[in-house]
Amino acid sequence: MDFTFSPEHQALRRMIREFAENEVAPLAAEIDREHRVPIETMRKLGEIGLLGVCFPQEYGGMGAGETGYCILMEELGRICTSTATNVGAHIGIGAMAIYLDGNEEQKRKYLTPLARGEKIAAFGLTEANAGSDAANIRTRAVREGDSWILDGGKVFITNGGYADIVTVLAVTDPALGPRGGITAFIVETQWEGFKVAREEDKMGIRGTSTAELVFEELRVPHENVLGKVGEGFVTFMKALDMGRLTLGAACLGGAQAALEWAIRWAKTRNQFGVALAHKQSVQWMIANMATEIEALRSLVYRVAWLVDTGRPFSQLAAMCKMYGSEVASRAIDMALQIHGGLGVTRDFPIERAFRDARIAEIFEGTNEIQRIVIAANIFRQHGVRIRP
Amino acid sequence: MRVIVLMGRVLDPRGIVVNRRRGRIFVNVEEYIIQPADRCALEVALRVKDATGAEVVALPRGPLPDDDVLRQALATGADRAIYLTADKPYDDGAWTKVLVAAVERLGGADLILTGATTLDTGQGQLGPRLAEALGWPQVVDAWSAEVADGKVRAVLHRGGEYVAVEANLPAVVTVQPGAVKPRYPDGVRLINVYRGVGEVAEALETWPVADLVEVESLKPLLERRGQDFPPERERSVRLTGTVEEMARAAADALRERL
Amino acid sequence: MEFALSEDQRMFRNMFRDFAAKEIAPRAEEIDHEETLPQDILRKAANQGFLGATLPEKYFGAELDGVSYAMLIEALAGACVSVALTVATHVSLVAMSILEHGTDAQKDEWLEAMAAGEVIGAFALTEPEAGSDGQAIATRATPDGDDVLLNGVKVWVGNGEIAGLFLVFAKGPEGIDAYLVPRDAPGLTVGYREPTLGLRSMFFNTVYLEDCQVPSANRLGGAGEGWTVAQKALDRFAIAVAAAGLGVAADAVDVAAQFATERVQFGVPIAKKQAIQNYIAEAHIEVEALRYLVYRTAWLADQGRDFSAEASVVKAFGARVARNVTNRMVQVMGGYGFMEDYPMARKYRDARMLGLVGGPTELHYVRVAQHIFAERDLEITP
Repeated sequence: MDFTFSPEHQALRRMIREFAENEVAPLAAEIDREHRVPIETMRKLGEIGLLGVCFPQEYGGMGAGETGYCILMEELGRICTSTATNVGAHIGIGAMAIYLDGNEEQKRKYLTPLARGEKIAAFGLTEANAGSDAANIRTRAVREGDSWILDGGKVFITNGGYADIVTVLAVTDPALGPRGGITAFIVETQWEGFKVAREEDKMGIRGTSTAELVFEELRVPHENVLGKVGEGFVTFMKALDMGRLTLGAACLGGAQAALEWAIRWAKTRNQFGVALAHKQSVQWMIANMATEIEALRSLVYRVAWLVDTGRPFSQLAAMCKMYGSEVASRAIDMALQIHGGLGVTRDFPIERAFRDARIAEIFEGTNEIQRIVIAANIFRQHGVRIRP
Repeated sequence: MRVIVLMGRVLDPRGIVVNRRRGRIFVNVEEYIIQPADRCALEVALRVKDATGAEVVALPRGPLPDDDVLRQALATGADRAIYLTADKPYDDGAWTKVLVAAVERLGGADLILTGATTLDTGQGQLGPRLAEALGWPQVVDAWSAEVADGKVRAVLHRGGEYVAVEANLPAVVTVQPGAVKPRYPDGVRLINVYRGVGEVAEALETWPVADLVEVESLKPLLERRGQDFPPERERSVRLTGTVEEMARAAADALRERL
Repeated sequence: MEFALSEDQRMFRNMFRDFAAKEIAPRAEEIDHEETLPQDILRKAANQGFLGATLPEKYFGAELDGVSYAMLIEALAGACVSVALTVATHVSLVAMSILEHGTDAQKDEWLEAMAAGEVIGAFALTEPEAGSDGQAIATRATPDGDDVLLNGVKVWVGNGEIAGLFLVFAKGPEGIDAYLVPRDAPGLTVGYREPTLGLRSMFFNTVYLEDCQVPSANRLGGAGEGWTVAQKALDRFAIAVAAAGLGVAADAVDVAAQFATERVQFGVPIAKKQAIQNYIAEAHIEVEALRYLVYRTAWLADQGRDFSAEASVVKAFGARVARNVTNRMVQVMGGYGFMEDYPMARKYRDARMLGLVGGPTELHYVRVAQHIFAERDLEITP
């Protein structure tokens, strides 16, 4: 067992931390206040190669593996949850689906500009009646010669309002359902029939775009079928597995930031004649935060190692997402409590972190769904089949 | 054209806590960063490269325990880096001799850039010493520098004023920390240089110091006897009273210091 | 023991709920997003007698009993916690302090106008360096003939921006004094408004006192008795905050339970899923426990005994229940719980503030512990 990071990953973390502190941090409050996606940050990340962090160099990526990607998400999550979310939706699920199951031509055409940040991706799965129940999608794709005609829509699509490329899941054979009847497509948002219907007004991650997309007779060439016809559901679930791990990594960064703020304030703030650090209520919070963060860190990078060494990781990725989001929420809640009034005023970053953190327990599969996935995995090993 | 950049490392100050009461420095996180001024020097060198197509070569500004700084220089855009391996610590006086030999082995250079000062020791000797040893003109504390027509033109920033100077090449220029915003490394180069694959990894060479100079001739200039803290700064005072009283007290306090 | 509401209390409760549903709930999202509290809402509340809720009829108050008052705050908070705490600050912190500690002249001067909503009360205790630690107050009260001069800075002054009367705490020659400071007193400036996580329709301001001149007769209570005035006010307010917690939590369960019956996933309403049932059931249990704790403490306060330990118990529990319940109800609503077009995100933000407004939960724990250990003859300091 070796728990150290390789020199390349240490250097990568240094580079990302510097980028995050210099380029991301100054915008964090502003994009939240103005409800604006920092597209300039995405371009800058792309220019220095970070948006291709986990993709092979032949497709414009860095080839730093899943470990490198988790480092990116952790360091961004530590500074700005919105930016981490934009990057996660772009790399972790949007582009990831193309990387996992795209053919050579699709990877050259689409993955390369995505890895360089010249184009932005989104992941078109959720529908109004298909949230946790992803197999219940209604968007329909009908074959017409060399093309497919898509009709329907998606909701709550992160990056949806400004993406250039959306991977879309649609029903191609209603009789077969998720086993053979659902297909993934690579859709360019400039095509006729693609429409952004609305932008959501959210409590947190306000520096992200969460959009409703509508497809009206959207014509997609057959060559843009991602993977095999009828097997799109599997592609999307595989991408979500990867997304869950790195969402856990982003939560790790968020929790770490909360701990750092809490320590700093507990040292500075005097009440009843002593620094808050001398109060056991505060000590307990700090100790609990630090312990949970260490446990989460071990979990995240262990799963990254599983991915990088080609081992199965699906169940543990669900744990990363579930545990990570809850650790982050608890840590930020405690940091807020330690800060008192400063914790709930928008002049300080904790208030934003508190609003931002809440979404991680919900999106990319609610924590309830993660628990079902984990339990179903466990029971399957014991011969019991669980349906959600 | 060849531009040499001399680079060193320093403990990341964010991982350090100074406890005056116990007279100790606690290193909580032992992480090293490139000397901030040297990083600016590298950025100036890369801008010269962008403008003229010059070759940029990174060398250590003193003995280094590993080649991390040089790998980062390569990742950021240097064309070549030479890790000068030393068996013991040498100070700036001794290291100047090593550098003179290295420059000669490289076949000379047109411009040598380095940081005007170091974050840890605060020394700014290396540039001037090296210029003296090479017999080249020196420009110290540059805020910016560019190369044209066989000359280096620099702007110095001293005592609140800017001074434009120029010197004939070859020359040594030291760059102030914060003078320019250094660029980020390129992700792909970074991964490859650490992984030891591709052209960027081949651009890293190792030259033992002993191959360049007679190590016995390298004598230290200074002997280190111990360390102490600089005098403690005056503590801040909280002003009380009405706004007028506080304003008056602040004005008086400032006047006293003038 | 009698747990049933009286005929009057039932009638009041229906009236409070009607008012909240009709006058506040339809505008709750809008006023939260605009971060304002339209004057007409307070005027309507005053017309109903809510702004003099517990004041005697003599001052045109509604003379509600403690339980009815708690139900008022609960009902208002169910629609909008900001409105509830604006009223609670006005009534529990300021008006009731005047009723309890004021001279007849002070009562005559202020209470009728406060009941009518012509004057809104604000509570100015917290300072930059004195949050939970009231004894660290740095604001000075310096006698100056028949007047006193107040100097200092107060932060997080609830109702600051809309107030006509500030209850200000300052250190005088004999300890902490409480002063009634009208808004137009020379030297009083209402400044920065805190942009807050929740309670965005409430006003928390910084208030500057620069040689602020008020007559000595404006001192509320005896010299050096200000700390007692503050503590009693905070005890009353603690019950109101818990009642607000009850209101927001109960309404959150309502909203989420309705959502769970309508939202279909995996072919059934999510209400049929055990995880969701557990969330709702657990939340309901906590809400019911809080409900009776709030009513009981409100009743206890009416009995004229010291209830400071009980006030801390209900405040700490109320804040916790409000936070936990709204947090879980956000989860029931999934993505919709995170969207500002639905009420749950606001309830969650508002509820989180209740663990800080009126003193952080940790301080209330200390006070509960003080009470427990005092019975065992052991002195606890925070």
